[in-house]
Amino acid sequence: MSASKPKSFAKAFEELETVAQWFEQGDPDVDEGLKKFERGLELAAFCKAKLAEVENKVKDIEAKFYERP
Amino acid sequence: MSEPVILTVTDYLALVNKALAAVPRDLLVEGEVSDLRVSHGKWVSFDVKDEGAQAVLKCFMTAWQMHTPIEDGMRVRVSGRPTVSARFGKFQLNVDAVEPVGEGALKRAYELLKAKLRDEGVFDAGRKRPIPRFPERIGLITSRDAAAYGDFLRVLGNRWGGVRVDFTHVHVQGREAVPEILEAFAHFNRLPEDDRPDVLVLVRGGGGLEDLHAFNDEQVVRAVFQARIPVIVGVGHERDESLCDFAADMRASTPSNAAERAVPNRREVQAELEASAEFMAARLRQALAEKRHRTETAARGMAHALRHRRDDVARVLALLHERVGAWLPPLRERLAGMERLLKNVDPARVLARGYAIVRTADGTSAVLSSATGLVPGQAVSVQLARGSFDARVERAGTRRGQQSLV
Repeated sequence: MSASKPKSFAKAFEELETVAQWFEQGDPDVDEGLKKFERGLELAAFCKAKLAEVENKVKDIEAKFYERP
Repeated sequence: MSEPVILTVTDYLALVNKALAAVPRDLLVEGEVSDLRVSHGKWVSFDVKDEGAQAVLKCFMTAWQMHTPIEDGMRVRVSGRPTVSARFGKFQLNVDAVEPVGEGALKRAYELLKAKLRDEGVFDAGRKRPIPRFPERIGLITSRDAAAYGDFLRVLGNRWGGVRVDFTHVHVQGREAVPEILEAFAHFNRLPEDDRPDVLVLVRGGGGLEDLHAFNDEQVVRAVFQARIPVIVGVGHERDESLCDFAADMRASTPSNAAERAVPNRREVQAELEASAEFMAARLRQALAEKRHRTETAARGMAHALRHRRDDVARVLALLHERVGAWLPPLRERLAGMERLLKNVDPARVLARGYAIVRTADGTSAVLSSATGLVPGQAVSVQLARGSFDARVERAGTRRGQQSLV
């Protein structure tokens, strides 16, 4: 697990799912669990901040209409 | 009167074809198809006739130019280049485009193409790609003027944020629709992999078969199928269907539904995030409780074991006390007996009665109990009850009384 800042919402969410899955195992180790939990909270906070973004940007693309046979 | 012009057949037909080239190319000839033949899967020939009237137009085209299947009896419009074939001496229309006309013909053409594409596997569920759950970039292909455009963006904004929408404006009906939609797909396919949208969305409002012709066009259906990016198609109202729908990686019932399928609902995701954090916390608490419980159990076990040991020790001590009590009197008795015995054999008591102990004075201090071996002049040491003295042997004999000391 990387402790770095996630690159995107999708990446953060994916990692969070992996962390949460780790907690589904039968008998989680407490020390490891604390580390994972901390990382999980970090990821959840990142995701929540992203969720606060309301705007979607629309960019017009000029598709180049090249000659067709 | 000038000389008559004499030409070869080839030259003459070339002249005729030059004259025919003056006939406008964008004219559409409408009629009913008959005698449709396809040879080698490449060359297509058919007649277009006026109903009732005796007028026949021989038509010829390649299979790849035919984007909509036709069959005998179907009403079509054809456009192309009129020529006289030099080889067969036959007038024909070299067809550029053929399209069915009227609801019946369109419906039939639609069914034919649908069956063909289905048999080819274009609609196979196994070929469909998953749509990323959290797209960051969406390629939107539709008309700026269509309600579909506004519907899609509105629902998108209601559900999710932070998405970049790369919008390509295309006609969704009319003659320009097919080439423009194809170009939009080509544009997205040309992008380098790391610069592509996560998903493409092709939408338009509802309509009849005639309105939806671009979405039932074989080339457009194939473009959807072959796109390098997963495609969501949403056409019209709930009940409308197009061949693009079936070829899409995901079919949406309307443009609004396309937005619902492209992005998740932020409220649901928020709830999921909270549930996930809550789950982790609960599991961690549970793990901690389990560990505490285990530690406590272990501590209790240890205390129990200690108590057990302590009882053992006490029991052994008590046993010892009891045993010692039983052993001690006989032990003391034995000791006193031994003491008495030792007193009786104490040489000091014998000396006190007037006896003496004679030892050699040669360093070994051996006690002498026989005169044998004693020689005159030999030094001996004599011990009495009180004190001792050294002496020399005067005479030695084994007979009693013969020894005398100086």
